[in-house]
Amino acid sequence: MTVQYSELIQPERVHGSLYTDQDIFAEELQRIWYRTWVCVGHVSEVARPGDYVRKKVASQDVIMTRSKDGEVSLLLNRCAHRGNLVCEDQRGNSSTFRCPYHGWTYRNTGEMLGYPYNQGYGGKGKLSLNLGRVPRVDTYQGFVFASFAADGPSLKEHLGAAAGELDRLARLSPEGEIELTAGWLQHRAKANWKLLVENETDGYHPQFVHGSVFSVTGSHIGTLYSDKSAAVTRDLGGGHSENDLRPEFRKMEPMNWFGTSEARVPDYVAKMRALHGEQAEEILIEGAPHVMVFPNLFVAEISVFMINPVAVDETVQNVTAVQLKGAPEMNRRLLSQCIGSVGPAGMLLADDSEMYERNQRGVAARVPEWLDIRRGAHRERIDENGFRIGAANDETGMRGFWSHYRSLMEGKAR
Amino acid sequence: MNQWIIASEFAEVAVSLDLDANGPRLRLEDLRSGHVRHLDALELESIAWAPDERLRELMDPSAGRWSDRAGDA
Repeated sequence: MTVQYSELIQPERVHGSLYTDQDIFAEELQRIWYRTWVCVGHVSEVARPGDYVRKKVASQDVIMTRSKDGEVSLLLNRCAHRGNLVCEDQRGNSSTFRCPYHGWTYRNTGEMLGYPYNQGYGGKGKLSLNLGRVPRVDTYQGFVFASFAADGPSLKEHLGAAAGELDRLARLSPEGEIELTAGWLQHRAKANWKLLVENETDGYHPQFVHGSVFSVTGSHIGTLYSDKSAAVTRDLGGGHSENDLRPEFRKMEPMNWFGTSEARVPDYVAKMRALHGEQAEEILIEGAPHVMVFPNLFVAEISVFMINPVAVDETVQNVTAVQLKGAPEMNRRLLSQCIGSVGPAGMLLADDSEMYERNQRGVAARVPEWLDIRRGAHRERIDENGFRIGAANDETGMRGFWSHYRSLMEGKAR
Repeated sequence: MNQWIIASEFAEVAVSLDLDANGPRLRLEDLRSGHVRHLDALELESIAWAPDERLRELMDPSAGRWSDRAGDA
C-alpha cells in the first residue's frame, strides 16, 4: 500500500492515522530516521580517548566512541560474526570491544583486531570483517549528528537557519562551548514521536498544561505565551522551528531569561563581560534559544532533549542539563533548574508527558479524523530575514514541521 | 588519586587509577621522562596473558621509546 501523504497532510489539518499507522511509522524510519541527519549526542560525552557511550537512532543500537587520534565514530553494536552485541554497558573506556559470544575483538574505530583459534579461518589476518559504521557523522557546536545515507545534504545544509540557534546556545559559555556531561534521564512516553516534536514549540499549551507550576512558583513564563506577548513562533525552514522569546526578554534585565539576576551569578557575568565587552549585555539579556531541530533535537533554554522513536505509539525522550564550559557557578543552577523542570520528579515534563499520552489515546478514536493546526494561519507574516512567523502561541512551527515532513515522505526532499 | 611508585635502578614509574574518563583506566607515568600511557581493562588483561616472548619484544629498546614510532599516551 502506498500512502498518499497529500491526502493526509493539508495546510491546516493533519490526519489522525499519521500517529497510529504502523506502515507510516515503518516508512518514517526509512525516509527520516535512517536517511536525514539525526542528533545522537555530544562530543563532550566521549571526552577522553577510549571513551564510549551507547546511543539509539530509532531501533539502531549505536556506540559513540573516541579513538586514540581523537576521531569520534558511530559504530553499530553488532558483531560481524554472528550478530551479537559487542557492547553491553551504557558507557565506559576501552580501546577495543570484544564480543562475548566467540571473543571476536574490534578496535574502537570498528576495525577488526582478531578472532580466537584463528586456524579455523586459515590463520591470523585472513578475515577482514569490521563493525558497521554509520556512513556519515558530523558535528556542529559539539552536537554529534548521524546520517545512515551515504550521500545527501550536508549537515550544514540540513541545519540551515537552526545552526544559528545552536550558535546562540554556545555563545552563552565563557569559553564558547557547551558540554552535555550532567548525565541523561530517559523519559518513556506511550505516544507517537511527532506528538512530542509538535509540543516542543507549541506556545499555546503552557498556560494550561503548566498553569499550576507557574502559579505556585510565580514564574513569568506563562505570560511570555499570552496574547499580549511580543514573542513569536518562527518557522526556520527544513522542519525546524523556534519560540523566539527575545522580544520579551529585551524588556527585562540581564539574566532574566534564566529567571535570575546578575547578583546571583556574579562570576559568570563578569567573565562574559570580560570576554564580549559591550556585546555581553545583548547576550546576557537574550539568553538561550527555544528551538526544535528536525527531527529530534530540542533545546529548551536550560535543557537538551533528544527524541527517539521506539514504536508507532512509544517514544523515549533523553534529557540532560545544558552545561556551559568555564561557568561552574551557572552550571550548578542550570542543573538544579533542569532537575526541577524535567527531572524524575520535575514539574514541567510530567505535565507534558501526561498530554502526549492522552493525545495518543485520543487519536485512536475514529472520528473526527483530523487534528487541527490552523491557529494563527490568518495572521502569519514574513520577518525581516524572510522567515514565516506567528504570534507566540500560534501553530506556525507545527505547520512548518508538517510541510517538511510531507516533502520527505513523498521523496521530494532528503 | 592514590599512586604507587614502582622503581628500580633502571626505571621509575608511577602507577595510579585514572577515573577521569567514562570508565577506569590504569595510568602509567615514566617519572624520568614524564611520558604517560593509559591502559584499559582489555589491554591489561592482554598483558596479563601475553606470553613471555611478547613481553621480551616490548623490552627491546628499539621497540618503543628509542624507535621511530615511540609509544604515545
